[in-house]
Amino acid sequence: MKKIIITFLLSAGLLVSCTDLEVTPTSFVTEDNYFITQDDAVASVTAVYASLSLDPGEQSLFGRNLYFLTDMATDYAAAGVSATNPQVRALSSLTHDATSDRVQVAWRQIYAGINRANVSIDNIPKVSGSEVVKTRLINEAKFIRGLLYFQAVRLWGGVPIVLHEPTSIQLESLKSRRESVDNVYAQIISDLTAAESLPAVYTAADAGRATSGAAKAILAKVYLTRKDYANAILKAREVINGGYGYALFENFQDIFTKTKKNGKEHIFSVQFEPNQAGNGSSGSTFQATSFTGFTATEPADIISDVSLFYDIYEAGDTRRDVSYAKQLLNPTTGTLYTFPKPIFKKYLDLTNLATPANVAINFPLIRYADILLSLAEAINEQGAPTAEAYELINQVRRRAYGKPINTPDTTVDLAGLNQTTFRAAIQEERKKEFVQEGQRWFDLVRWGTLVTEIKKVTAKNSVSEKNNLYPIPQSERNIDPVGLPQNPGY
Amino acid sequence: MKKNINLILWVTILLTSLQFKAQNTTPLIQSKLDGTVVDDITNQPIIGASVTIKGTTHGVQTDAEGKFYFQTGQKFPYTLIVSYIGYKKLEVIVEKNPVTIHLKEERQELDELVVVGYGTQKRKDITGSVASVPKANLSQVTSSADNLLRGAVAGVVVTQSSGRPGASSSVRIRGGNSITAGNEPLYVVDGILIYNDNSNSSAGVSNAGASLNVLSTINPADIESIEVLKDASATAIYGSRGANGVVIITTKKGTKGQDNISYQGYFGFQNISKKLHVMNASQWASLRNDVQASIGQAPSFSAEQIEAFKTSGSYDWQDAAFRTAAPVQNHQLSFSGGDERSRYAVSAGYFDQEGIVLGSDFRRISLRINYERNYSQNFKFGINANYSNSLSNGVANNGSGGRNPNPLVSVLLTAPVVPIRNEDGTYNVKNNIYATSVNGYVPNPINDLENTINETKINRILTSLFGEYKITKKLTAKVAVSGDVINTKQNYYAPANTTNGAGTKGSASVGDRLVSSVLNENTLNYNTNFGENHKFSVLGGYTLQYTQGEVVTAGANTFVNDANTYNALQDGVAVKPASDAFESVLKSWLARVNYSYKGKYNFTLSARADGSSRFGSESLWGYFPSAGFSWNITDEEFANNIKGVTEAKLRLTAGTTGNQEIGNYLALAQMGSVNYSFGGTIYTGLAPTRLANPDLKWEKTNQYNVGLDLSLLDRKINFVFDVYYKKTNDLLISVPVPLTSGYASVLQNIGGVENKGIEIGLTTENLKTENFSWNSNVVFSANRNKVVAIGNGVNQFFPVVPNGSLLQQQPVTVKVGLPLGTFWGYRTNGIFQTQEEVNTQPKINSLANTKVGDRKYVDTNGDGVITALDKGDLGSSQPKFVGSFSNTISYNDFDLNFSFQGSYGGKIFNALNQQLEISTLGTNANVTLEDRWTPTNPSNEIPRATSSPLGIVSERYVEDASFLRLKLITLGYTLPKSVSKKLGAKSVKFYVSAENLITWTKYSGYDPEVSSYEQNNLYPGIDFGSYPNSKTFISGLNVTF
Repeated sequence: MKKIIITFLLSAGLLVSCTDLEVTPTSFVTEDNYFITQDDAVASVTAVYASLSLDPGEQSLFGRNLYFLTDMATDYAAAGVSATNPQVRALSSLTHDATSDRVQVAWRQIYAGINRANVSIDNIPKVSGSEVVKTRLINEAKFIRGLLYFQAVRLWGGVPIVLHEPTSIQLESLKSRRESVDNVYAQIISDLTAAESLPAVYTAADAGRATSGAAKAILAKVYLTRKDYANAILKAREVINGGYGYALFENFQDIFTKTKKNGKEHIFSVQFEPNQAGNGSSGSTFQATSFTGFTATEPADIISDVSLFYDIYEAGDTRRDVSYAKQLLNPTTGTLYTFPKPIFKKYLDLTNLATPANVAINFPLIRYADILLSLAEAINEQGAPTAEAYELINQVRRRAYGKPINTPDTTVDLAGLNQTTFRAAIQEERKKEFVQEGQRWFDLVRWGTLVTEIKKVTAKNSVSEKNNLYPIPQSERNIDPVGLPQNPGY
Repeated sequence: MKKNINLILWVTILLTSLQFKAQNTTPLIQSKLDGTVVDDITNQPIIGASVTIKGTTHGVQTDAEGKFYFQTGQKFPYTLIVSYIGYKKLEVIVEKNPVTIHLKEERQELDELVVVGYGTQKRKDITGSVASVPKANLSQVTSSADNLLRGAVAGVVVTQSSGRPGASSSVRIRGGNSITAGNEPLYVVDGILIYNDNSNSSAGVSNAGASLNVLSTINPADIESIEVLKDASATAIYGSRGANGVVIITTKKGTKGQDNISYQGYFGFQNISKKLHVMNASQWASLRNDVQASIGQAPSFSAEQIEAFKTSGSYDWQDAAFRTAAPVQNHQLSFSGGDERSRYAVSAGYFDQEGIVLGSDFRRISLRINYERNYSQNFKFGINANYSNSLSNGVANNGSGGRNPNPLVSVLLTAPVVPIRNEDGTYNVKNNIYATSVNGYVPNPINDLENTINETKINRILTSLFGEYKITKKLTAKVAVSGDVINTKQNYYAPANTTNGAGTKGSASVGDRLVSSVLNENTLNYNTNFGENHKFSVLGGYTLQYTQGEVVTAGANTFVNDANTYNALQDGVAVKPASDAFESVLKSWLARVNYSYKGKYNFTLSARADGSSRFGSESLWGYFPSAGFSWNITDEEFANNIKGVTEAKLRLTAGTTGNQEIGNYLALAQMGSVNYSFGGTIYTGLAPTRLANPDLKWEKTNQYNVGLDLSLLDRKINFVFDVYYKKTNDLLISVPVPLTSGYASVLQNIGGVENKGIEIGLTTENLKTENFSWNSNVVFSANRNKVVAIGNGVNQFFPVVPNGSLLQQQPVTVKVGLPLGTFWGYRTNGIFQTQEEVNTQPKINSLANTKVGDRKYVDTNGDGVITALDKGDLGSSQPKFVGSFSNTISYNDFDLNFSFQGSYGGKIFNALNQQLEISTLGTNANVTLEDRWTPTNPSNEIPRATSSPLGIVSERYVEDASFLRLKLITLGYTLPKSVSKKLGAKSVKFYVSAENLITWTKYSGYDPEVSSYEQNNLYPGIDFGSYPNSKTFISGLNVTF
């Protein structure tokens, strides 16, 4: 009897000794078991790219969130009835302020991406593996970092420059002050210059990674934005003549066709694939917000004014019906459906209208036509349009009208313009070419025409000079009001 | 073997003696006595009470009518000793035949035994603040045990997150100590330590909506008693889990005596307690016209159409969403009893409740076995086993969030001109031009409610085994091993024509979560006296708790049709599955010494050392000591003569407790997976998602308590008064850090919170006559909560509310000097009436194009513009005081219970109303917008109609949540014994009851007891899409055979 009880008590004691307080997680990777092999380095850079296309619980940076700032808050795009977020509507009517959640999310997404790049750049040197691959991966991270700072400096002006992962959790060490615009650009140029040594081309399996051509193309845009036309011309010509094989698609629609992804016109695109963002989502929400089915319901993303932005395309300009759809074939009924107002069409995958959040159309962050027009713009800004400048803009126009790209064609070619009228021509061309491509706001700010152009749209007459920059998010300034002074007017 | 022979012998003797007792001898009869034993308060007969004539072995038991009979050689007067379990033993001198003996329930007395941590103590000896939930509270109609605490005990505030059947609730004992970590008390169910983590009811299925209360797995009808441990002297024995208070739940056990079979059942129905007033079609059509006018569009509706809507074409979406007379029923069958060596209680329960919202319900089947046996004189063992199976359907969230977090909000926002059903009776899921169409469907919230499957099934086994061995008379060893297994299965299917299914042609997911926890507790108890005056009791122990969990979810979409719902994932396009696993270990040493001098001065010292795997490598162990002293003043000679004072006791305690409820692995840096594609193939990347903090450790609460217990006028008035002060340091805070760091926040032990307050409990016997009695119970408490520090020179931060519409509004703040749950926003200042006012007065920055008819805000800093700097404190969700007043009145066979509950001074951010007062082209609005500003209606209250006003946090939407509620009223009738006996029953009781019958409140939403973000302590008191509360009417029957 006593024995039974003693055994009972002893067995309890045994149970006690067999567990330890140090518990190792089995369901996630910690920093202790990471950055050991080259595969870890590759995965960390994959995450750097993913900052462009994925943000769980939010619309991703290039999957639509940046669009609110770079397109909806300009002249041609607006918030439709289906856009119920008041913050989105505020951007559409240019009445947003420092508490705008879209602005804050963009800021967060950009700096989250920069941090991921910093983590890769800081840690990849210590992993085992090929030095060539490691250097390439670091330069890819620098490309994305430079690209993100380029977005940030244009959106907010001089932003904090963060170049290393945080090593302490102390608040003071996590704070960063705003830097001058020049310093930010110096950093961008440094990162992108490093990225110029990236491979010119990858195997098909690695298509979509940053290339040296992409680095030069973004640099050309950086110099153009800085009005450093000599360097802009230099870099754009390197892209065109550097043997990268870039060319315009003959057919404008091909830029947005699934089967032509990472084609000859695409210099760098943000990649989207079905289920890439998990749970039936590619990470791009453009289709879902441009098209609400074959109904009269107005989508969330709409054209602001049909007469100012749709009716302007001349007959034969194929860009209109790629950028917008007045009519669409309803595959279930087999009949053409006419929308009350043209809808945005570039990101519509007509073979997959059923799952609009899960389509595979890339976002063309920079494409060859942009380089052609940027070079033309830089040349013109140096004094007057040259023959080269005419040829550049005319190639873009010939393609738009479905003409042979390299054959002069008087029916579409521009000629006989002075600097001012050529400038206006480029501005008109870019407006028609880059609908929904995240260019419009940057273009208007670069040209200094943001207020005059946006004011032409009645519902957007709240625009003012302060809109040439976005406000620093209020939540950031609550934490660090001293280091992050607000932009004027907010 | 020798022992076993002894045992057999002993049993034989026992049986023989029983036989002897049954024999009838015929001694000289000096007297006959007919007697009845009744309850002192209810006058109900007490069955099975033992009555013995003092100085003899002659004893009898009372029968089913409480009657007993003696034929004895004793002459009057002689003394009877009357005893019954749960009642105070009584000696009565009998002088003549017949006699009625009134037994007093023991729980009214100071030497009543009270359950405390790891043992029991006489109430008289207790130094800490320990309160018991009154019996009347335990018989409420509720699906979940924690609701029994509502209004029951001073210092406990229970907020049900919504009116959903099985809804989760938050329980705060003496205010919230923690900002981000858990604030729920520790539950100890039959010795098993449970933290009520509602995430255990979620297997991670997305859009599943509000969580199910895990405590709903415990059948309230099985509960015998609930004690609440409030101060450090009482809770420090639970160390790192004691800071939020401890609730000890003891289930019904068998007692020595007769076998009982009892059935308790009720049936009732529920209705929505209140509807919200949204616009009808006519009102809305005219609003839409005004909105269109504000953006230069032509009106959609002609004056004739608007007039015509008054008679037809208006649809009440709210009516369609709510059930009327939703049934609720409960059945409980229990068997209990015991003999000299074993005691048992076995029960089975069935609870079934349909929710007042379409598609919602809760059902539970529960089984319980409690068994205890004295194996020998020195050794006893027992088992408490509980199994429950519950199934609940809840309201799913809308994946899109924002203005429409769930269909309950969509119901209110849907334009009233949209028909709910088609002419053929099916739901209208196409014909709504005012909302977004997805794949040809415009989701209909009523269809969403009825046809989205969102079920949670929980199987829980909660079992403890214990053995207790008396090593010597003074030394007892106890070993207990318990297991708690919770298996949650979630099934979700949104058909292709619903909000969540339209985008993906149906959306299915299933999830499974298995959490098991094993607890081993080994304690030694030593009781001794040194002489008459010194009484010692020493407890020591070692415990170990190991918890392990596994979660898996899988889903698919794009189905050919909706026929197979979630049961054929392979027929759809798979979405990425997910799995997770976690484990945690908690090791503890515990000790307690109680010392009592003459029963007058009592001292308690306790300490616990806890080692937890959850914390950083630099701080694995924490130490939690406490000390308590109590003084029974009335035992002093000088106090003997104070008139009217029966008992008086002073209590002083101090101690340190901790909180470890932060989740697992949070001290470690985490890498999360993210995907990107190259060459059309998706690759997994790993990105840092959390910074490491090796110093992460417990939150520590220091608590001081002064208490006074007073019984007056022979215990007709009992008064318990407590004052306390609590200071919590090393608070775990997810401190927002600059987003430029790449992180949104970092978890640190950085903050401090202070709680102080008073508690009053008053029980009174107001009237008592032969047939009539009236007893009252008043509970009152006031807690003041204040954030003392949030670290590093920061004095304010804005928690991120996880909702698209509320995210940037930042309605709540954590600010040093203010209570948790403080709302932060603008103050309104009327409406701009003239262009001159617009030109000259401060305007809000975010509405740069301010026009006549827009709302004015107060420029608090006087800088001429309204910016975020003009926002300020709009009050906190924490009430200034709460109270309840309960009454039990009995008259002959009738009894009436009614209780009022109230709360004063708390606020609610009515985010729902804020959304309803935003006018858009497509959504319905609150009828208050009828009074909107127009040139002909210069309202100073409601601004003009516009199409895109921002949601702005202002005092208009921070409403007073004070309320007084007739929580429960029950009228019962117990059949006279003579009648029930004919039915073969020991007792039969019928009752009718009404819950939430009347509520007095200024709150404009559905119900002032609400918290859309459930147990979250950072943003309590937000009302956005919560399930409305109901009025419940039931009738019930309790029978004991």
